Amino acid sequence: MKKLNYFSFRGLSLKKRLPLLICLLLLAIVIIFSWASFFGVKRAALNIAKDRLHVLSKQLSSMSEQSAAIVINASRALGNNVSIKEHLKSGGKDSAEQSLQALKNTRFDSSWVYTELLDLYGKPVLRSVRIHKEYLAPLLDSTLATAFTPMDSFKVGKIYFLNDTMYYPIITAVTDNNHYLGYLVRWKMNLANSKSVQQFAELLGAHAAFYLGNDDGGLWTNGVNSFPGAPVDTASVNNLFEYTNFNGDMVIASVQPVANTHWLILVEFSRKALLEGTYGFLKWIIIIAAILIAIGIIVTHLMSKSITAPLNKLIEATSSIAAGNYSASVEVNRNDEVGKLAHFFNKMAEQINYAQINLEKKIMERTAQLEKANKELEAFSYSVSHDLRAPLRAINGFSMILKEEYAAQLGDEANRLTDKIISNAKMMGQLIDDLIAFARLGRKDINHGRVDMNKIVHSVVAELTPQQSENKYCFRIYDLPACYADENLIRQVWVNLVSNAIKYSSKRSDPLIEIGAEKVKGVFQYYIKDNGVGFDMKYADKLFGVFQRLHNQSDFEGTGIGMALSKRIINYHNGGIWAEASPDKGATFYFSIPESNIV
Amino acid sequence: MSKEIEIVLVEDSVDDAEITIRALKKVNLANKLVHLEDGSEALDFLFATGKFAGRELTAQPKLLLLDIKMPKVNGIEVLRTIKSNEATRNIPVVIMTSSGEDKDMVESYNLGVNSYVVKPVQFENFSKAIMEIGFYWLLINKTPVG
Repeated sequence: MKKLNYFSFRGLSLKKRLPLLICLLLLAIVIIFSWASFFGVKRAALNIAKDRLHVLSKQLSSMSEQSAAIVINASRALGNNVSIKEHLKSGGKDSAEQSLQALKNTRFDSSWVYTELLDLYGKPVLRSVRIHKEYLAPLLDSTLATAFTPMDSFKVGKIYFLNDTMYYPIITAVTDNNHYLGYLVRWKMNLANSKSVQQFAELLGAHAAFYLGNDDGGLWTNGVNSFPGAPVDTASVNNLFEYTNFNGDMVIASVQPVANTHWLILVEFSRKALLEGTYGFLKWIIIIAAILIAIGIIVTHLMSKSITAPLNKLIEATSSIAAGNYSASVEVNRNDEVGKLAHFFNKMAEQINYAQINLEKKIMERTAQLEKANKELEAFSYSVSHDLRAPLRAINGFSMILKEEYAAQLGDEANRLTDKIISNAKMMGQLIDDLIAFARLGRKDINHGRVDMNKIVHSVVAELTPQQSENKYCFRIYDLPACYADENLIRQVWVNLVSNAIKYSSKRSDPLIEIGAEKVKGVFQYYIKDNGVGFDMKYADKLFGVFQRLHNQSDFEGTGIGMALSKRIINYHNGGIWAEASPDKGATFYFSIPESNIV
Repeated sequence: MSKEIEIVLVEDSVDDAEITIRALKKVNLANKLVHLEDGSEALDFLFATGKFAGRELTAQPKLLLLDIKMPKVNGIEVLRTIKSNEATRNIPVVIMTSSGEDKDMVESYNLGVNSYVVKPVQFENFSKAIMEIGFYWLLINKTPVG
């Protein structure tokens, strides 16, 4: 099953990882900083707006209060009119003419539409109307509906709208020496038009709205039009509150009561307008952040490039050295850590190059020396084979001539001594031949191939089994697996092993030689077991040494080279050869050749 | 020097030469034998120069027994000279050497040797080999020479 490839930060190259990391960090900082400053600015903007709202509403409230005080004082002055007092005292009989004239005088301009004198019970006594009475009937009814108490006097009453015109009453008590005689109610029409309202709103500031309302919250007006009420309750008076106005805008509002009146003053700021600057600020912050991040990406990219470029050079040079080009170096002109790394890398490469050249030179020298030594050895073995054999042949030859032609003239002892000379010369000849074979092995090319062990062993056994005497040897040869080796050399090994087995079991009456193979740990081990004289295992280490013998020449003839030669052959095949034996109980020789023995 | 020569033995070792001659004598083949002790003598004899100046060149020997390792001019050089010369090319040359070096053997055959024999150390084998060589080349083999 194929493993899914997830995105791995560690899998990225340093060149990508570093800018990515720095950019992520930068992004986090920018986001946190922008968010914090945006909220700070927003809160500050709102706080400033709230303060301004509060102050504005207070000022407007006190301005209205003063206006109210002026009109109330004017009404109060009217109430002090003697004729009016007389008229009320007399229960509406005396000074009626003068009183009506006084009432008329209060309507000194067109905004004063109606003045009425009421007795203590609220019953109209006298009235002066500027326009048609029926037209103002609803206002008059509302005046009548008012339960007059001394508490309500000296106040500006609630606002009324009639045919899209705003009216409000000024109610004052008429007193005489602190005795209430009646009430004077004057209605004023608001003459403001939409243009003046707009101008006033502009004075307050953009997106601000100013409203007058009755203290029961039922009606709001900007002086020209009436509007549905704002959600004002007693708790929100003197406090800031937020709501969605009739236009559907979220607004912050401040409500203030106006003293001497039944009015409330409401100032609204549009939240959206207030925060316009803040959102503009946020927009700028986002633009600046984007620019910062872009700059960050470019700077870190350049930075990481300036770090990774020499690193890449180093990687290139290192891989070049790894590939065997020891003269590679990097060119980095900097004094920082990377520069130092490159500097020491170059030194190291130089050292390696020097060592490599030196090594190659040494190897060439040694190879030449070895070749020379090998040649000398060859010349030496050539000399040995030629020059040692010549005198030996002479010794042997002349001894034989002596024996053949002068035997009769020599005594028995002389003949015996001549035989000794001949056998020793023969022995020495064998020794020289074996030694040369041993020395030659080192120079021989090994020809690997499939070796049929059964064929070789049977032919070697047939060749070596003594023919002349009655054959007392018993061979037990099992099936032998083939191996991959040099056939001639392996044959030589079998010759040595079989002839040894025959030689060392020759003194038995029933010599038994067993040849076979067994698989141990996946490798075939060939063995040859005899029931001969064997040997003591404490001499086993001498078994495979050149000229090392474990038996006397008089007991068993031999040169002491056969086993050394066999070991050398097996070593050439990366195999192993060893023996197990005990004196008089025979010996078993093992050897193994691994399947992959080609050096 | 007018006597007809059948075998030329070129051998620096007097002992080997004696044993060789003795073996040939046993089979009566050493009557027309000359023993030369090195390569330069052999060349002088074959080309009738030096101390053999004046020798008749009409009858070349039937067999040249040549050792390899000899002072002055070795057997390989003698062989090369003989085989590259029209007058001596047909003389049968048998190299008899103590060395069984492949190198020498290969070179000898490349130069056109007629036979290559490694001298056995055993006297019996040596004698037998010499006799067989003598019989073969003198009695059985036929050459255009002589």
